Amino acid sequence: MAEADSPDALEAPLDDLRERLNISLLAAGVAGSWDWDIRNDRLYFDYRMATLYGLDPAEAERGLPTSAFFKCIYPGDANRLRIAVAGMLNGAELFLKSYRIIAADGLVRWVEAHGRCHFGTDEQPERFSGILVDVTDRRRIEERLRISQTAGGVGTFEHVPGHATAMVSEQFCNLLGLNPAQVLPVATINRLVCNGSPPLLEMGSVSAEELPYAEICVARADSQEQRWLARRGEAARDVEDGGVRHVGVIYDITESKRVEDALRQLNDTLEQRVEREIAERLEIEEALRQAQKMEAVGQLTGGIAHDFNNLLTVILGNVDMARTRLGSSGDERIDRALASAQKGAERASALTQRLLAFSRRQPLAPKQIAVSRLLHGMVELISRSLGETILVKTDTTPDLWMVEVDPNQLENAILNLAVNARDAMGGGGTLSLTAANVECGAPMPSGAAAPRDYLMLSVADSGSGMSEATIEKAFEPFFTTKEVGKGTGLGLSMVYGFVKQSGGDIHISSRVGEGTAVCLYLPRALETQTAQPEADTPGVQRSLDETILVVEDDEDVRQFAVDCLVELGYKVLEATSGPRALSLLKQRPGEVQLLVTDVVMPDLSGRELAEAAHEIEPNLPVLYVSGYPRDVILQDGRVKDGVELLSKPFTQQALAAKVRELLDQIPADDL
Amino acid sequence: MMVNAVDLTELEKDALTEVVNIGVSRAAASLRKMVGHQVLLSVPAVEIVSREKAATLLGERESNELVAVQQSFSGAFSGRAMLIFPEEHSLALARAVAGDELSNDEIADLEQEALAETGNVILNSCLATMANMLKRPLTMSIPTVCKGSASTLFEARSDKDSRVLFLYINFSIHHRDLRGYIAMTMDMPSLQSLKELLAEFIQQVVGNQE
Repeated sequence: MAEADSPDALEAPLDDLRERLNISLLAAGVAGSWDWDIRNDRLYFDYRMATLYGLDPAEAERGLPTSAFFKCIYPGDANRLRIAVAGMLNGAELFLKSYRIIAADGLVRWVEAHGRCHFGTDEQPERFSGILVDVTDRRRIEERLRISQTAGGVGTFEHVPGHATAMVSEQFCNLLGLNPAQVLPVATINRLVCNGSPPLLEMGSVSAEELPYAEICVARADSQEQRWLARRGEAARDVEDGGVRHVGVIYDITESKRVEDALRQLNDTLEQRVEREIAERLEIEEALRQAQKMEAVGQLTGGIAHDFNNLLTVILGNVDMARTRLGSSGDERIDRALASAQKGAERASALTQRLLAFSRRQPLAPKQIAVSRLLHGMVELISRSLGETILVKTDTTPDLWMVEVDPNQLENAILNLAVNARDAMGGGGTLSLTAANVECGAPMPSGAAAPRDYLMLSVADSGSGMSEATIEKAFEPFFTTKEVGKGTGLGLSMVYGFVKQSGGDIHISSRVGEGTAVCLYLPRALETQTAQPEADTPGVQRSLDETILVVEDDEDVRQFAVDCLVELGYKVLEATSGPRALSLLKQRPGEVQLLVTDVVMPDLSGRELAEAAHEIEPNLPVLYVSGYPRDVILQDGRVKDGVELLSKPFTQQALAAKVRELLDQIPADDL
Repeated sequence: MMVNAVDLTELEKDALTEVVNIGVSRAAASLRKMVGHQVLLSVPAVEIVSREKAATLLGERESNELVAVQQSFSGAFSGRAMLIFPEEHSLALARAVAGDELSNDEIADLEQEALAETGNVILNSCLATMANMLKRPLTMSIPTVCKGSASTLFEARSDKDSRVLFLYINFSIHHRDLRGYIAMTMDMPSLQSLKELLAEFIQQVVGNQE
């Protein structure tokens, strides 16, 4: 297609006119215009459109086949355009389409076609004409804007305050969960704002001079999910009536808002949490202090009891010996005085025994026992002790676990608690003895979870109850609420010491006027042992000519023990300390048949002495004598296997029996 | 994702848009004669949605009460067609159609009739054009006018599975821009028939020009 080279001079003014039209069309962004004569089936392009399509402008002006309209249309858009044009040729009036063309220069351009159909008097379509605008640059800018909006999650809006509708972007709709639209009613947008947040778009026309930053909570239209949006923008002063136009963006700030809220909440509750922690710590410290106090009191009383037992051993032993010596021939008054002294010393001994029990220093002889059987065996005794006005009830669940405790001490404990209950009930009432299993992890009255399986034994009364202050001190030795002379203040202390020494726990629940329940938590026996029958081998009777080595640092006690043994006919060697005893053993190998030693001594303890002695005489039996055995010979409150123990104070008979028992166990050929 | 067999392709939607465009253009010509003013109508896009979605779309775009002129049609495809305006536009439309010389009270009296007549012209033209273009006869009932919200207009009646052809329509009457919507509710078999007819139409147009 050659460029028309018209020699016709008349064309010059027309060219000039055409040129001026082209300039104005170019200034309007118009890339060309067309006129489609429907009746005659011809198509006319102007100069620009022809150039754009790479057609001869002169030829295009003279008329083209209508198929030329589709010549440069990008293939992907062609069918769409054919359908649209078919609509126009068949009676549609307005034409507005965006599509791509491949221009003569080979570049792809976006164009927008604005067309209109003109009808003849018979209402049939006559001409379809319009202009083509190059919108490539605008499309690129729109594309960039769209991508930055989707990538950044930023939605835009334009709104003149007071108007009922606003122009919005697709991303704006997305952020609100609305279907994409270009224009939305302000009411639709503001309806999504939650109570307490300002409206997204200003409703009134007044006081809307600026568009301030705002954080707005909305409930999304599609999911009702609450999101926080930030709104930022500017007020442009370019509206006809002199008002403002708000141009702004919204974006989601839910996540940062959430973090901020969490941080604030953390700060707000900080004081509260610190207070709670401190209160907890104070509670624990208080419990620890109480435990330490009980421990200190326990050690103190244990120490006193030890020294006191030494004294009682001397007193009781000597009184005993004096009475034996005096025989029936003596002065009756002297015998009465001695008997009275002996009784007093025995009472003192019972007292020290209780002190030891509290300080958890008493030797225990635990056995596996069934508590229900023990309880039922005690009911009659308890009922008798408490009198007719008090009803005694027992309640035990059928499959109670076995416990491993010293049964005598447990009986003592129950009796002690029963007597306390009687005193609390004054005139009469009900004493309930109950036992139940408490599984590991179950809550205990202290609030803590049980650290192991326990059997819970409770002794409850319907008496006067205790105040909190009283409960706090109830286990302390010598604390009593009873009248002077009525109680020692050692009953509960003893029970406390016994339970703790047995690896259990104890708790008092009480309120003034509402009775008291003391609960003992006794550890469940790990395995059920079959009760071993008592070994009952008759001892070989021997003459009393064995040699016994007595080691004791207390002069009086040693003297008493030596006197007793000599009187019984034994040969007695004595030593004031462990090292002396060892040198005696070395000097006289094989001569000593029994070592009787104190436990708590300076230099060498009884235990250490026994070990050293066994290196010299491996089979030498040892009898410990102690008022305060401590853990030298005790393991978990029990006497170690193969250890014989005689508690102070002891009588001549007790010493004689224990010594004989030990000597009789020695095989004959060892003598 | 479940693909609905009766959803229209992009090209079919374009074709439907053009068919409706021809219809509203004819309606505009009739209205021009009726009112003696410039009347331009065009339909930029069509969407095929469920009844719920149609109610949502309309509810989001129009927060006030709506007025609808509705007619049912039957033939190769059948259903119900509605021309919907925001209520605040209905008086303006009635005034434009009935003439400026009437007082507000007189307009209010005429409003129902004016709306019914306008709706009848537009809907009739659309449906008749569709029937013509697709070469199938359709019969139409008398128009009725109703008011309500988006959700009440699309309340389920008999066929729950029906889909809505949802068209945006731009009105320009006497230099006043009004917005409105055309909604055609059809059941699945009708939509399937329409789809087949549209495919034929496309084949003719695209095939002829190649």
